[in-house]
Amino acid sequence: MRLFLLALAFVALALPFVAHAQSPELGAVIAAHRAEIEKPSRGSVGPVVEAIAATGPQGAALLQAWADRMLALRKSDGLLVITSPEDGNLKLTDAATGTDLGTAPEGEVTLLRPNSGVRGVISAALAGNALSDPDPKRRGEALDSLSRRADASQLALLREAMEDPDPALAARKQRLERLLTIQYDTDPKARIAAIESFGGDTGLDFRASLNPLLATRRGAMEEIPADANPARELAVGSDIPRDEAYALLVSEGLAPARLTPEAMRQTLAQHILDGKVGGVPLAQLHEQSARDRAYTALEAVGTVQPAASEAEVDAALDRYKFVDLYAEPKAEVTTAARAALRGTESRIGMMQAADLSLDALSLASIYFLAAIGLAVTFGVMGVINMAHGEFIMMGAYTGYVVQQFIADRTISLIVALPLAFIVTFAAGVALERLVIRHLYKRPLETLLATFGVSIALQQLAKNIFGTQARPLTSPAWLDGALTFNDVVSISYIRIAIFVLALVFLGLYLFIMNRTRLGLEVRAVTQNPAMAASMGISPDRINMLTFGLGSGIAGIAGVAIGLFAKVTSELGSDYIVQSFMTVVVGGVGNIWGTLAGAALIGFLQKGIEWFNPANTLAAQTYMILFIIIFIQFRPRGIIAAKGRAVGA
Amino acid sequence: MTALLEVRGISVSFDGFRAINNLSFEIGECELRAIIGPNGAGKTTFMDIVTGKTRPNEGQVLWGEGSKSLLKMNESQIARAGIGRKFQRPTVFEDQTVSENLTMALSAARGPFSVLRWRPSADSVARVAELAEEVGLADQLARKAGELSHGQKQWLEIGMLLAQDPRLLLVDEPAAGMTLAEREQTTTLLRRLSERHAVVVVEHDMDFVRRLDCKVTVLHEGSVLAEGSLDHVTANPEVIEVYLGRG
Amino acid sequence: MRKPLVLRHPSILVFLGVLAVFTVAVTVLSAGYGTGAISTSMVKTLGKTLCLALAAVAMDLVWGYAGILSLGQMAFFALGGYMIGMWLMVARTEGIVTGTLANLPIPPTDAEISAAVATQIFGVVGSDKFPLIWAFSGSLWGQLALVVLVPGLLALVFGWLAFRSRVNGVYLSILTQAMTLALALYLFQNDSGLRGNNGLSGLQNIPGLDAVGQEKLSVWFLWASALALGLGYLLIAWVASGKFGSVTRAIRDDEARVRFLGYSVESYKLVVFVLAAVVTAIAGALYYPQAGIINPAELAPIASIYLAVWVAIGGRGRLYGAAIGAVFVSLLSSWFTGGRAPDLNLGFYIVKWVDWWQVMLGLSFVLVTLFAPKGLSGLVDLFEGLRPPRRRGAALGPDMGALREKEAVE
Repeated sequence: MRLFLLALAFVALALPFVAHAQSPELGAVIAAHRAEIEKPSRGSVGPVVEAIAATGPQGAALLQAWADRMLALRKSDGLLVITSPEDGNLKLTDAATGTDLGTAPEGEVTLLRPNSGVRGVISAALAGNALSDPDPKRRGEALDSLSRRADASQLALLREAMEDPDPALAARKQRLERLLTIQYDTDPKARIAAIESFGGDTGLDFRASLNPLLATRRGAMEEIPADANPARELAVGSDIPRDEAYALLVSEGLAPARLTPEAMRQTLAQHILDGKVGGVPLAQLHEQSARDRAYTALEAVGTVQPAASEAEVDAALDRYKFVDLYAEPKAEVTTAARAALRGTESRIGMMQAADLSLDALSLASIYFLAAIGLAVTFGVMGVINMAHGEFIMMGAYTGYVVQQFIADRTISLIVALPLAFIVTFAAGVALERLVIRHLYKRPLETLLATFGVSIALQQLAKNIFGTQARPLTSPAWLDGALTFNDVVSISYIRIAIFVLALVFLGLYLFIMNRTRLGLEVRAVTQNPAMAASMGISPDRINMLTFGLGSGIAGIAGVAIGLFAKVTSELGSDYIVQSFMTVVVGGVGNIWGTLAGAALIGFLQKGIEWFNPANTLAAQTYMILFIIIFIQFRPRGIIAAKGRAVGA
Repeated sequence: MTALLEVRGISVSFDGFRAINNLSFEIGECELRAIIGPNGAGKTTFMDIVTGKTRPNEGQVLWGEGSKSLLKMNESQIARAGIGRKFQRPTVFEDQTVSENLTMALSAARGPFSVLRWRPSADSVARVAELAEEVGLADQLARKAGELSHGQKQWLEIGMLLAQDPRLLLVDEPAAGMTLAEREQTTTLLRRLSERHAVVVVEHDMDFVRRLDCKVTVLHEGSVLAEGSLDHVTANPEVIEVYLGRG
Repeated sequence: MRKPLVLRHPSILVFLGVLAVFTVAVTVLSAGYGTGAISTSMVKTLGKTLCLALAAVAMDLVWGYAGILSLGQMAFFALGGYMIGMWLMVARTEGIVTGTLANLPIPPTDAEISAAVATQIFGVVGSDKFPLIWAFSGSLWGQLALVVLVPGLLALVFGWLAFRSRVNGVYLSILTQAMTLALALYLFQNDSGLRGNNGLSGLQNIPGLDAVGQEKLSVWFLWASALALGLGYLLIAWVASGKFGSVTRAIRDDEARVRFLGYSVESYKLVVFVLAAVVTAIAGALYYPQAGIINPAELAPIASIYLAVWVAIGGRGRLYGAAIGAVFVSLLSSWFTGGRAPDLNLGFYIVKWVDWWQVMLGLSFVLVTLFAPKGLSGLVDLFEGLRPPRRRGAALGPDMGALREKEAVE
């Protein structure tokens, strides 16, 4: 049969144009093989399918309908029709000509229901046909469907249709052929060669074709059969728990079931006699030993099945070997597959590390953006602003409000960024003038007062915008992700945030090192009294610094709002990490903040990698790490010099 | 004479600046010593090292009969070993009364639990009164230290030092900000102290040092420039160079 | 030769007197033992408030006296609650399970009861076994010991690490906050062994006391809370007075100077921190049976900050100030947020207190910090006619937690 199919495929491949040129009349073919079409059998349907397939596209459509059990005979005239469901009725098409015959209720036709063997023959013919179709699109579709539902028969079909004028399709065919070889070829050498030809390939399809080879089945047996391919033998107790091993014996019918406490209790309950079970009074049966006694008594009189004793369990466990067996019988194939999978996995591991690094980098950028303002105010003024998180939130809400007025996402973003800066700059200046200035050199009080501001602002935001999350939509050009391969990719928003962080790093360095303001800020940081005597007003510098720090928080808010939901709690989600960044990095130095953000970002992602299921645990461990870290570098990675140190 | 405190070849640098450079120094039991030197000579850093506030990069600081190294001890352990320190600026606990300040300094067990169980006894009350008498604050015992005048705070701090009963006293510029009469009193007190304690006075007021009438060590750029009586060292041309050459 | 503690500090006597009068008054007005003018839920609220006051007094010892602005006190509070909650939950579930299993023809074994209890308790987190940390949950005394030991040990380890490396000021505050957050996040996990975000519930039902009824039980707890507050207040007042208190306040104002006096600053801080943690944990252990439920949200950093807010509003550095602050602000908060406060009609806008209370609390907190550093208990000074200080409120020490002169009037 297979040989025949091969021949069929060969014909279809070699003579597509010839076949079309001859173009035998489909109607005639149908008429000639009418009986076989109505009552096909697997053994004899081949030539019919071949003949129909040779007629061209309409023949292929007929075959497809036939395979899908949509081919029918119209009861009124016995015409062969292709049906498709439409509004509860069936839409009919003449199978021979493709003419539309309108709709008809289901009762007016007799659907042909070929068995699965016949359908296998038909679909193989269809696939083989399609693989060599002159239309590259159809060949591509055929490859798609082949890779989705591959089986042994299609390997042969594919091998016949390997040549392809389109180089991309030819490559796909090559790859698919090797994948199918791995799974279905009968020659182990060919399979191993195919496995090795992939050498560390990370494609999902390759891994998917290896996995069934390496699937194992756990079994218990007295001796491992010579033809079996064991993955490993399990030692009872270390590789497989004792209870589980015995349960395996029971499930394979090799040993009698052990008596569970639950089963024992139920059995005992069935044999209560005059308030006693097996002579033991019910009142005593809250002790396991009493129950054992009662059960033994019942066993002795034969009312219950004897249960396996511990000694019997041990004996049974000794008698049998517990083995994981590969479904694939050829050891050399599984060995090659395992080696290939290991290679693939280590490649994937490296790529995941790369992907993780990208994630970590973007997380670090976010933390950097969120923390830079905090670091500025803490470094220059020695002030911890607990309302910093709320400034971030304010920035995000500014972005949201702007989007309510400006529909164009790109323009609204361009407007929102400076506007968020202005809004939070103003808020920061107000906070400095009204509160912080009066608590100068009282960092703990400042911390608490700004916390008061923080809860007020948070509730205010809730009152104004409600508790539900508000969307801040990014422009279309920021949608999607930059994809390097199956594993490594990064979304454009995160790239944009990374760029934004770089811009701010540059801007900060520029302001601090190249402008008059930066010079004055540095002067005030290092020696406020001296700076004041030189005519620099520390009050003004503090105000501007605080405004600047807050303004950056506002911009960070817009950036964060683009990928996170904007809620009144947005700020508090980031504030602790921002603090950590500042504390770990060391105050008063932008590079410290950068190092802190990088450390925390990479650390968090790294911990998540080890324990991907549990991000909560990751955060816990990260905070613990930071607490320990502070032990060794209490002043942060890059210790500051200046006012903040004096404390 | 066995030294009470021996400092051997210590050096310390901050960010590349050598504040102390291979400094060696010795002081014996019940000795009064003045350390002078221009600004930046390393006087205060020297005290910081002895009291454990700063760790030297190299060298040794040995203490007492057993020549125990002070470098492995922290500030409070060094203080308990018997080294008291008076800061340049008067640092007393302004929120607490004079009597509380003195009681705190009184030599007694310092552990938290023994302090928790500590109750004033007739002895301790008498000792506090005696100390207050000694530093001229007998009628100020119930006042908050924050309400005292600058000079009185200096005295209170000296009183606290006495209460600690240290074997070595490090006194940083005791005369700073004092009136002439107060200086006189301070001089007398320091000299009397040196009868039972070793005292190191850091000062750059030459008149004050002259009144102390003791051995003088001149520091310059982190190491000892000269040592001897005041007349001896002031005759040293290098010292003159350092002091006058800069003026 | 020395007068007893309460006579040296009359405020202690006044405080204990007020507490006693309050307790008696509530008892007389309660539904369980008196006229019923105060509802059972109100009695519970008052009892809980007393526990919060105790936590605030402990906070004051740490912050007002030792200058450590700990933003992690509520972690100890909640841990205390969790420890007692474990026993309450196990004992109560055991009672229920035993009742159910007793109907079976065969009496249950201990192992079966334990398994059924475990399934009942941990079913919500998909487990049917007792985690290791529940080893003592069957024993009231065991869990009572843990109420003290677990938070005490946590405070000891954390404090030792933090104080040893001389982390102080704002850094220390942030670090304590981080500790709280880490603990909260840990407890939020389902496999933390404490039922994840479900927390422990049904704690108001005290095993063996079902017959007593909540009316009376609530009053019992009020008594216990009042007793704990009284004893805790005495203990902390005793610690904060005398030489230990003197050293502690000295550490707050000038830590370095205290070192040169020969005191080991770290061990003093550690003693204070651990003591406060233990007292706070006891307060928590009394609080949560009255609240009925505890979950990791109770450990949110914000809760600890609120505690600091209460102490600041009440007046730090004074124990009764802390207690007043906690009672005043927490009762006011529950009144405003409970929807019982009438809306304020401004003509153009109706102020709903449920929405605006937080805003007002935040702003009034800023105002108190700015203009009344002594807090509410500053009013006591007005009453006593104490003079305002003469210098313009400079800090009394160089340290970041140091008291300022305008606060330090006693």
